[in-house]
Amino acid sequence: MRETIAIAVKDLRLLLRDKAGFFFVFFFPLLIAIFFGTLFVNEGRQTNRLRVFVIDEDDTAASRSFVGRLKGAPELDARPASRAEALNRVRRGEGTAYIAVLRGFGEGNVFGDNPPAVELGVDPSRKAEQGLLEGALMKYASERLSELFTDPAKSMSSLQQSREQVLNNPNMSAADREKVASFLGDLSSVMSRAPQGQSGGQPQGKFEPLRIQNADVQVHWEGPPSSYDVTFPQGVMWGILGCAAAFGISLVTERTRGTLVRLRMAPIGRGQILAGKALACFMTMVGLSVTLLAFGRLVFGVRPDSLPKLALALIAVGLCFVGIMMLLSVLGRTEQAAGGIGWAVLLVMSMLGGGMLPLFFMPKWLQAVSHFSPVKWGILAMEGAMWRGFSYTEMLLPCAILLAIGTVCFAAGERAFKWLE
Amino acid sequence: MSCAVLSCVVSFKIMLRISNLHKTFGDIRAVDGLTLEIKRGEVFGLLGPNGAGKTTTVNIAVGLLPADSGTVEIVGHGSPADRAVRRVIGVAPQVLSLYDELTAEENVAFFGRIAGMRGALLREQVKSTLQFVDLYDRRGDAVSTYSGGMKRRLNLAIAMVHDPELLFLDEPTVGVDPQSRNAIFEKVLALRERGRTVVYTTHYMEEAQRLCDRVGIIDHGRLLALDTIDGLLRTHGGQKVLVAQSLQGEVRVPTDDPLVDLNRLQAESRLLSFRLEGPDLESVFLKLTGRLLRD
Repeated sequence: MRETIAIAVKDLRLLLRDKAGFFFVFFFPLLIAIFFGTLFVNEGRQTNRLRVFVIDEDDTAASRSFVGRLKGAPELDARPASRAEALNRVRRGEGTAYIAVLRGFGEGNVFGDNPPAVELGVDPSRKAEQGLLEGALMKYASERLSELFTDPAKSMSSLQQSREQVLNNPNMSAADREKVASFLGDLSSVMSRAPQGQSGGQPQGKFEPLRIQNADVQVHWEGPPSSYDVTFPQGVMWGILGCAAAFGISLVTERTRGTLVRLRMAPIGRGQILAGKALACFMTMVGLSVTLLAFGRLVFGVRPDSLPKLALALIAVGLCFVGIMMLLSVLGRTEQAAGGIGWAVLLVMSMLGGGMLPLFFMPKWLQAVSHFSPVKWGILAMEGAMWRGFSYTEMLLPCAILLAIGTVCFAAGERAFKWLE
Repeated sequence: MSCAVLSCVVSFKIMLRISNLHKTFGDIRAVDGLTLEIKRGEVFGLLGPNGAGKTTTVNIAVGLLPADSGTVEIVGHGSPADRAVRRVIGVAPQVLSLYDELTAEENVAFFGRIAGMRGALLREQVKSTLQFVDLYDRRGDAVSTYSGGMKRRLNLAIAMVHDPELLFLDEPTVGVDPQSRNAIFEKVLALRERGRTVVYTTHYMEEAQRLCDRVGIIDHGRLLALDTIDGLLRTHGGQKVLVAQSLQGEVRVPTDDPLVDLNRLQAESRLLSFRLEGPDLESVFLKLTGRLLRD
């Protein structure tokens, strides 16, 4: 074990002496986290169907009709769910938002103070899509009204109901009540004379087809995250990718400059040499993660939901990428080849895993492929511990996948490692 | 003295025993039935041209490469394939194997730790080793700032930091200036004085002649001859050559009795100068292989 630690300390010392390498391992990820954290505040765009969970708490003909519209919406992938399930799945990042059609939706008055209302809870990491969702909801609420007014019987009933609510509204002045009630009366007369199927047009005055009550998803767990809570795990991931690439190359460097031969001639085993490398890589990964997150805490108020869970996530991510580092180290015979191949593999992993571009920007098939990227699971594990409020059971899936990938890669790398070229 | 005791005493005098060693790389026969014994406390030269199989032999002898067949034994310890046995071996590879970003002290200390040394013993050993190779004053400088000769000496220091009984120095003077080469020679001779066994591979006959107690001449993986320098010269060196300069030009006469031949030449024509050339390892190699060492 002492020999393994000696190798690890030597590798850390080599990393510290390499100023450019040190910068890219420790400071570059920090810049990435800050840059994208700033960039993604209220920014974004949409190219795919947004997965939303819909809760029909009203369960009236009107609410069912509205939910039906959402299900048929081309820009939405609306799935029915209970409130608890919807909240939980959004929290775990399985959907962009939940939409709760609130009680009283069917009786809502589009001309009064009590319009049909829904509650919208958006995943904090996907705030960029909130505007799109609100627009879509307003669109389908308006369509519902448009349909309402093409049916004279329904519209007459609705207008009559609205007129009565206006006349009884104590918040309106008498003059306003009279004007709006008179207008609704006139409109009702026109509608009664209109042939069936003809649009009644849009009423004037106060008109609110849908009231959207935004619910902060994160209020259900401690501390409202900022965009930095989203970008700092990504920054950590970048740092870890940098470590994996750097240490993958360092193993090739040992081989090309002959020090590996010297290590092999020493009275230590092959396992100790690889373990030393792995330990140095792991320590660097943990060190940079802690540094980045501490910086995020001090400067940007990034506060993990659970430190033990974060530690669990970082250990799983670290072990996974140590294994990947081991595999990368056998892919190239020269430092240039190892560096090129390593970064190419890591960049693809990062791209597929949402490290470069949010997953929702990608086509569905690529999103499916992202399940194979450890970057996705790494970010999910860290987010789960930082602000998604994962339970230990929920942490199990990403952590187990990370450990499995790490183990397979380490075993494959160790097996393929060639001692003498 | 009984046979068993005699055998034990003889064995104790042997440090390294290589028996019928074979190693091939594809179609290339790198080591071909090599058998030799190296005595404790001697500087043994493994002399041969580039590609003769010297480095392969060393790599097998230190446990880095497995042999196709044959055995290597560090007498009293066992096979170098055994990790524990490698504690008694030190190797200075032909290719400089150093961490340029680290200081000399950090390099030596690291390999000392790898060899299992700790604490005060390690510190003392690092200090004495760096002093031995005259790098103690520069111990805090990064190796990247060192000259080629200094790096060679550091390469040697790393090989001996754990005070091994048996040292393999594989072409330790490649690419160094004459001054550094002389410094390395002095260190090798000092090691012999300390009672260390040194296996010194080289293709420079001058080095072998200056440093080695015995020399094994190797070519195409086969041991062609093994003896002391004098023994090799006597057996394989051929005759001395009398070189005489007369008004007619230079005359070279192989001779067993230089005085008789010199008188004969003097009688034939007036000599302006003469000298006697003795056989050297180059001529030994020429006689054994039909070609020069540097061919």
